[in-house]
This record gives sequence, structure tokens and C-alpha cells, in this order.
Amino acid sequence: MRKSTSTRQTIPPNDADLFAHAWGLPDVVRDWFVAKNWAPRQHQLDMLEADRSGKSALLIAPTGAGKTLAGFLPSIADLAVDQFDGMHTLYISPLKALAVDVARNLMDPIADMGLDIRVETRTGDTPSSRRQRQRFDPPNILMTTPEQLALMLSHKEAPKLFGSLKRVVLDELHALALSKRGDLLALGLARLGTLCPDLRISALSATVAKPEMLREWIGTPKPEREVAFVTNTGGADPEVEILASDDRVPWAGHSAQYAVPELLEIIKQNGTTLLFVNTRSQAELLFQSLWELNEDGLAIALHHGSLDVEQRRKVEAAMVAGKLQAVVCTSTLDLGIDWGDVDLVVQIGAPKGSSRLLQRIGRSNHRLDEPSRALLVPANRFEVLECEAAKEAVKERAQDSEDPQPGGLDVLAQHILGMACSAPFNAVQLYDEIICAWPYRDLEWEQFERVVDFVATGGYALCAYERFARLRKTEDDTWRIAHPKIAQQYRMNVGTIVEEPMLKVRLVRSRGQKRGATTGPIGRGGRVLGEIEEYFISQLSPGDTFIFGGEIVAFEAIKDTEAYVSRAVAKNPKIPSYMGGKFPLSTYLAERVRKTLATPKLWQAMPDQVSDWLRLQRDVSTLPGEESLLVETFPKADKYFMVCYPFEGRLAHQTLGMLLTKRLERDRAKPLGFVASEYALAIWCATDIGAQFKRGRLSLDELFDEDMLGDDLETWLDESSLMQRTFRNCAIISGLIERRYPGQEKSGRQITMSSDLIYNVLYEHEPDHILMQATRRDASRGLLDIERLGTCLKRIRRHIIHKDLERISPLAVPVMLEIGKEPIFGEGRESVLAEAAEDLLREASGKK
Amino acid sequence: MTGAVRKKSSVSYAGFDLKFAGAQFVGLLSGALYWPEHETLLVADLHLEKMSSFAKSRQFLPPYDTGATIKLLADDIAATGARRVISLGDSFHRDEGTTTLSVQDADALAQLTQTTEWIWIAGNHDPAAHELGGNCCESVALDGIVLSHEPDAKVTNQIAGHLHPAAHVRMNGRSIRRACFVSDETRLIMPAFGVSTGSLNILNSAFDGVLDRNNLMIAVIGREQIYPIAKRHLIGR
Repeated sequence: MRKSTSTRQTIPPNDADLFAHAWGLPDVVRDWFVAKNWAPRQHQLDMLEADRSGKSALLIAPTGAGKTLAGFLPSIADLAVDQFDGMHTLYISPLKALAVDVARNLMDPIADMGLDIRVETRTGDTPSSRRQRQRFDPPNILMTTPEQLALMLSHKEAPKLFGSLKRVVLDELHALALSKRGDLLALGLARLGTLCPDLRISALSATVAKPEMLREWIGTPKPEREVAFVTNTGGADPEVEILASDDRVPWAGHSAQYAVPELLEIIKQNGTTLLFVNTRSQAELLFQSLWELNEDGLAIALHHGSLDVEQRRKVEAAMVAGKLQAVVCTSTLDLGIDWGDVDLVVQIGAPKGSSRLLQRIGRSNHRLDEPSRALLVPANRFEVLECEAAKEAVKERAQDSEDPQPGGLDVLAQHILGMACSAPFNAVQLYDEIICAWPYRDLEWEQFERVVDFVATGGYALCAYERFARLRKTEDDTWRIAHPKIAQQYRMNVGTIVEEPMLKVRLVRSRGQKRGATTGPIGRGGRVLGEIEEYFISQLSPGDTFIFGGEIVAFEAIKDTEAYVSRAVAKNPKIPSYMGGKFPLSTYLAERVRKTLATPKLWQAMPDQVSDWLRLQRDVSTLPGEESLLVETFPKADKYFMVCYPFEGRLAHQTLGMLLTKRLERDRAKPLGFVASEYALAIWCATDIGAQFKRGRLSLDELFDEDMLGDDLETWLDESSLMQRTFRNCAIISGLIERRYPGQEKSGRQITMSSDLIYNVLYEHEPDHILMQATRRDASRGLLDIERLGTCLKRIRRHIIHKDLERISPLAVPVMLEIGKEPIFGEGRESVLAEAAEDLLREASGKK
Repeated sequence: MTGAVRKKSSVSYAGFDLKFAGAQFVGLLSGALYWPEHETLLVADLHLEKMSSFAKSRQFLPPYDTGATIKLLADDIAATGARRVISLGDSFHRDEGTTTLSVQDADALAQLTQTTEWIWIAGNHDPAAHELGGNCCESVALDGIVLSHEPDAKVTNQIAGHLHPAAHVRMNGRSIRRACFVSDETRLIMPAFGVSTGSLNILNSAFDGVLDRNNLMIAVIGREQIYPIAKRHLIGR
């Protein structure tokens, strides 16, 4: 229904009645289909059937299959027959814009059918008067988000509000299920399972690698209900091509600058083109280079999460109106809403995962029976391999599989407080309910108790806060909130999305073109270009230039919570804001890339420059095997390099680099630094590391032994700022520290600082605290990719192939080129201070 | 403030020689300033009982900061052999802090105030006098140097705290932010000592009028060493 054309299955008029009777729909709904000369699709009828036989259901179908109608048909069929009082169906989407869009598209047919069904939305943007009213007088169908569900459940009216609920429809569940928002949603569903005797849960999902897991996810809140499995795998195969450029594909880099002229040509030949990139800064860079060569004045726009909302809405509106020829965008357009007819999807840079690529390809052409078209543009030679692997994966419709992790303890803490706000709870009963949320099915009672204790008084071994307790245990053995204010506090802090501290970027008049001029007024009142991470701005000095909002700007000053910038005359920005790939290469694609490398037969499909490169590598060194790890050593410019090729993504390589450097230091191999790319890791030393391997002074097997993930990892984590960042998120989600909103006294920077201090104190004095456990779990998974590294180290054990070379190998070139562009690790950050101090001493001794 | 790096071997504590107002001081990695001539240890902004002060608004921060700060202070006293400690204000995050100390922390602090001459200078966070041992006062003068909490542009030869100075240093494209000692000809501002204290960039406007921007001496506290840094390497605000 998202797009009415997608449900169209024209039937011969004469047979209409005959078919129509078999549908089992109420007259008014059937007549609507017949009048439109449409027939419901099989999976839509299957969903209806599942609901009628009291089952929950998981529908897996590609974009354009009429998933939304499939989700709502059972509700409409129900509500068309009997007048219903109260809330019948709750629809939950990951995006508030999607909730609004779906509501709009549902109201039209309901009006056409002349049905008296009230449909409303409830998001963070809904006026509070309406939200208030909805708590007492709900619509029949409510469209909302996981956060709003949590909020509604924390009110004491929740049992009455949801008591009548028959159905929950979860949209785009694949995008939610395995995240912290998914944890929050699962906990909300577990509560609904208790409150609503008749509840059936229907979930809509794109194709996933492990549908059985999603089915269980839906099933646990109502264990007695079966979950029907409905699929529609039909639809034409997408057409995916890889850009065959006349130009040389570069050795390294991420911006695909070489392809810009060809991209303009492609944009010119197509209707509307979406150009997906992986990071905001890549989007900025590409947008700028397209416009530099855009002599035909093609209407090309930019869309990413940091741009001002109003500016984004304008781009969206122009797209719907068909006024744009191309939009350069990031994952902000991955999900959800139709922005009009898209003819071609271009993926710039490697897609990193086949599921994400399939989702993005789905953005083009929402008609099921016509193929979607996509073009992959590799930004460097390794990405050619990755694009080939992704193309094959799409052909097979193979999905990345993501392993589930146990539900976050920080989210659990938030939920427990929310439940206490709605009514006093008995701990045993609440525990029994919580283990009905799939991510928490294995939660242990002891852990649950510690989280309750954390919510009540902070959960410290040193019980210092009993008299300020948020929750108190009463005589009837229930926990209740100590003060109504606590409920208000909870409501201010609900949700699992923690933003980086951001500053608004405002365009002002410059103080003058003279570099370093610090006098003269800074113009005020210019327009806001968008938002930028505060840590990025804090690195800048006035006059430094960077790209933002598609133009080069100069940093002027920070005023309150805004960064003032002016238009710059510079041709190239001084400060690159490229922060590496945002998404790691999926394990699945990595496997395929390794396979391609190890199988020369597969090289034929590749451009000559790439296959020649691989052949040369085979001749001078060797190629990484499917299961083994290639380690090359060679001297270069007074240093000795070790390059290895695990193909496990930048995060895992960075962690590996940190740990290997530590070990090499201990072995007195004098490591000097390292740099990690998506595919490889290069470490350089002051001693001849290759010779040491050959002479047996160092053992590769020992160096790469899994036990590095034990003590070495622990000691490194101590010093890692990644842990502090993760801790901040856990601290905010769990309610240890409060979220700050604009206008509140503290700036984001100060939250970061104080949460770092809290982390340090807690690490020092109670490293086993429940929140430290939560942090360690998150960090090892997310920021450091330790699990993946562990699997990799297991795989390569005793399969390490060492090549001691006289000079750099062809395969090593790309990662060696990253040196200087990417941050180098391994030298203590404090060397900055030593260098600056030396500089001062030199000056003092008159040598400068 | 001048800067040869003090050799570890000559004394039992690592430090950084600072000359200010004609007197010789040693800056310590903890952020304390030792005055050998008077066997006096200066510390500023301990902010004891800061974490616990959030409990009122039901944010339960780890209640370990007070103990940790007292421990650091005890270590410095032991290492330098100081006979006198002067705490330059904001010793407690708020006045009530003097009454909320845990038994353990109160004992540890009493141990120090009983064995050392102790002077508590009043700060804006802890203006009230208290009975925790030692003397409470508004400010102290020693050898013509005025020790007080807030820097005062009208006073010369002053050592103060209050501002929690930090330097954000950039060099060769990388940067780091750390607490620091900062001074001009007439005033020295000490970094905050307490483990729960944040810091303020010395380029921030709060330092306007307090220090002569064209005549700054900056000593940045690293993990194992204190570094003299030129103003041109500073960024941020």
C-alpha cells in the first residue's frame, strides 16, 4: 500500500466474483479490491489466514511486494466487521517519518471503503496535548516507534490502554531486532504479552540470513502462540553492474574521484539516480567534485544526517516532485519511505555487506515485476574484489548473517525503571516477564537482581546512597518508585539512541581574508548549515578550512553551542574530515573476497589492471589463502615492515595492531607504529623483523596466538578512549547520568568529560560493577570487533604463511599508501607533548 | 616559571622546577605544587564529595572519588615529606560535603590533618569554615606571595586555583588535552587536584584579564612528565 501499484494483480473482470469469494474478506474490503480491479496477493491472504487462526506471523518479502498492506489487511478485515472500542492495532516502525507515511497511505483506502476506523500517529513530534489525549482515548490503529511504546508503557494507564489490543505490526524488523532499540522493543513486547491476552504479533522484514531467529524473536512474548512463516520471494532479479572505468582504479583511497566524469554521464542518461556513499564526509567530497564538473547544470542534491532538517526536507520534497536528477546520500535514505521513482542506484565505494547492498538496491524501482538497477563503483583495487563478491552475493540473494548478542544491561535498567513508574512490581514476576523478551531469554536471576539494585541505588559495593534510593522495596515485597519526580526523570531519558555531542554550524561573514586576523567583528545571524561533531571542531584553529554542506568553509569561532564558519576561498580543505569506513566489511563478503583471491580462475571477470596486479603478486610473493593468513616482511626507508592480510575490517585490524605492537614491544622488536585498512594491517619496526622470524627469534604462531585477547587486551583496554566512549552510552541509556537537551546548562563536551571521569573512578575502584560489565560487552563487540578478531585468530592458527621479501609487494601497496592519510597508532599520544616541548626548547636555545 | 626537567635521581619525587615571584617551586604530576623552602605542599580544587553530591538529584555516581583524592594527597605528602599543606579552596564540592564523608574517608583525612599543619582556604564551593582539623581562612600570604582561591587581577604575586586550567596542544596534525600549570609575571594558576574535576581550556574567555595572554608560561602535565609548551601550539577555547 506504500505504493498502490505494488498490490496490483489485475484479474479478468468476468472471473472477479469467482475469485473474490475465495478471498475470505469482508464484503466492503472485497468490493474495494474488485472496484480497483485488483486482487490480494497470496502472502497478503496468508497473513490474514494466520491472524484468523490466532497465530503471530513473520512476513519476509522484498521491497515492493505490498508488505504494508499484508500487515494491515487482518486489522482492516477485523475492524470492518465490528465496531471496536479502543486500540486494536499498534504499528511500530524504526523511523518516525515512516510511521507518518504509512499512516497516510493507510487512511486513503480506509476512507475509500467508507470505514469508521481511527488511525493516528504518535512520535516525538506529536504535540503533547494529543499524546496526552491518546493515553485515555486511543485510536483504533496507532502508528508509533519503540521509544514511544516504552513511554506509553511507563504510565499507570498502560493496562487499560493496551488491554484491548489484538495485534502488533512491526515494520522493517530486520533493521531493529539486533540493536539496542531492538532490545527496548523486545522488552516492550514482553510487557504487552502480559497486558494483552489476545495479542498476535506480525512482523514485516526484508530478506535475512536467519529468518528462524526473527521468528523466535517474535514468538517469545507469547510462547503459547504459533508463529506462521509467510514469504514472498518473487520479484525480478536486480541488475547489478560494476563500473568499468577507462581510467585507472587507484591503489588506495575511498573517494572514487577518478569516476566523477563517468558518473555525470550516467546521471545524465538516467531519470533519478541515488548515489549512496558510506560516510558523511565521502558524501560531501563526492557532491563537491560532481558540481565542479557539472557543466550541464544537472540538478544534483546532497542528503545526509548532519544537514539541517529543513534542508533535508527540501531535498526530499524536490525528489518526490521529480525535480532532481541525482541525490548523493548516506544511510539516511537506506530505509523506508518512497521518495518517488528512482531509476538507478549507484553505490560508491565497496558496499561492505550484501544485505545493506540489497536494501539500497531496493530503493530503486518499487515495482516488483521489473528489475531494480544498480551500479557499483569501486574506489580502489581491493574494492574491485569486494564489489565482485557483492555482485555474486546479490545474484544468489545471499545475506550477511549477524550473530545476536544478549540484550543490553543498560537497556534493561531503563526498562526496569519504566516498569516501576507504571506500577510497583514484584521482582520475580517482572523477571519472568523479561525473559519472555527474546534478547533476554537467557538472563540470569543474579544479574537481573544486580540491575534492579543498580536502578535502586547505583549498585555499588559501597552502599552509599540508600537514603536517596530511586526504588524502595516495600512490606508487600514490591519495588516502587520513591517519588513521582523519578517518573518525570525517566521520561526525559527514555530511548537507546545517544548522539555524539554536536554543534550547530552557522555561516557568518569572515573577519577578513587575512589569515590569522583576530580583530573585527564576526558577522551574526547567518544561516545554519547543519550539525557537526564537537570533537572534530575542537581540533581546529581559527582559519582552518574543511568541507561542510558541499562547500569549503573556514572555522571562525565557537559561540555558545554553535560553530561559526565563513565561506573560504581555499581550493582544497586544509583539514580532511575523512574518518574511514563507517561499516566494517561483513564476514560473509570477506570470506568471498578471500576465496576470489585464492582462485585465479575467478580473476577473468575483473578489469585487466586488477587481474594483472594479482598475477604480479603471485609471482613476487604469494596470495592469501582462503583459510590461511599471509604475512609479508620487507625493509623500506630504514624501517622494517610487516604486512598481514586478515580481511576482517578496519576495527578488527586496529585492535589487532594495538595488541601485536604490545607483544612486539615486549619481544624487543621495537615497533614504531602501525596503520590499519579494511583489508590489511601494516606494522613497522626499527629491527629487522623478517630476519627474526626466519631465525626463529620470534615465532609467528606465538605472536598471533589467541591468548592476546586475554591479558594483553585487558591492559590495553585500560588506556583506551573507546571504552570511555562506550561507557558514556551505557551510562546515559541506563540512567546513571542524564541526557542533556539544548538549552540545558552543560554542553556536550562537559558530559563527555564527566563520564570519562566517572569511568576512570569506577574502573579503578569497582571494575566489576554491572555498568562496567555492560560496557565491556558492548566495546568488545562494537567498537573493537574483538569477537571477529577471535574467530579470525582461531581460523589461522598454524596456517600462517610468511614471505620475507626484498621489497614491498604489490598487494601491500594499498595499505602502505594509507600511512600518512590515516591516523597512526602505536606511538603514545603524549608524544605530541614531547614534540611541542622540544620545539619550545629549540626556540629557547635560539636554534630555530 | 622556567623549565628544566627535574631529574628523578636528585629527589625522591618526579617533578618540574618552576620559578615564580622569586621563589622556587616543584610542579608534581598530581597537579600539586611543592614549595621546598617552606616544606609546604599547595593543592587546589580537591572537590571532595563531588560524585556523592549528585545523589540528591538521584544520579548515583561512583562514591569512590573522595577516597581516591585523599590517597593521592597522602602519597604526595609522603613523597615530598611536606610538613604543611595549603588547600587553595573548593576543597569540598559543596559545604555539606564536610558532613557527608564516609567513616573511612573521614578517618583517612583526619590521619593527614593530624600529622601535618593544614590550612583550608575558602572557595566559592566551600565558603564555610569547618571543624575537620587544621585552620580555615580566606587567604594566606607567605614570603610576599598571596595564596587564594580565585585569581584577582588587582593582586600581584598570587597563586590561585578556581579555573581548572587545561591546555589543548596541537603538533604535527595530532592533538592532546591535559591539565596544566599556567602563569604570567604576576600570577600562577594551579590545575585542579581532585580526581573528579573537569578542566577549562586556558584560551577560554574566563582567563581574560586574569593572565597576560602575551606572556604566558605553560607547563602541561603528561602521564610521566611535565612539559613546557609554547602558546602557539594551543588550540580550542
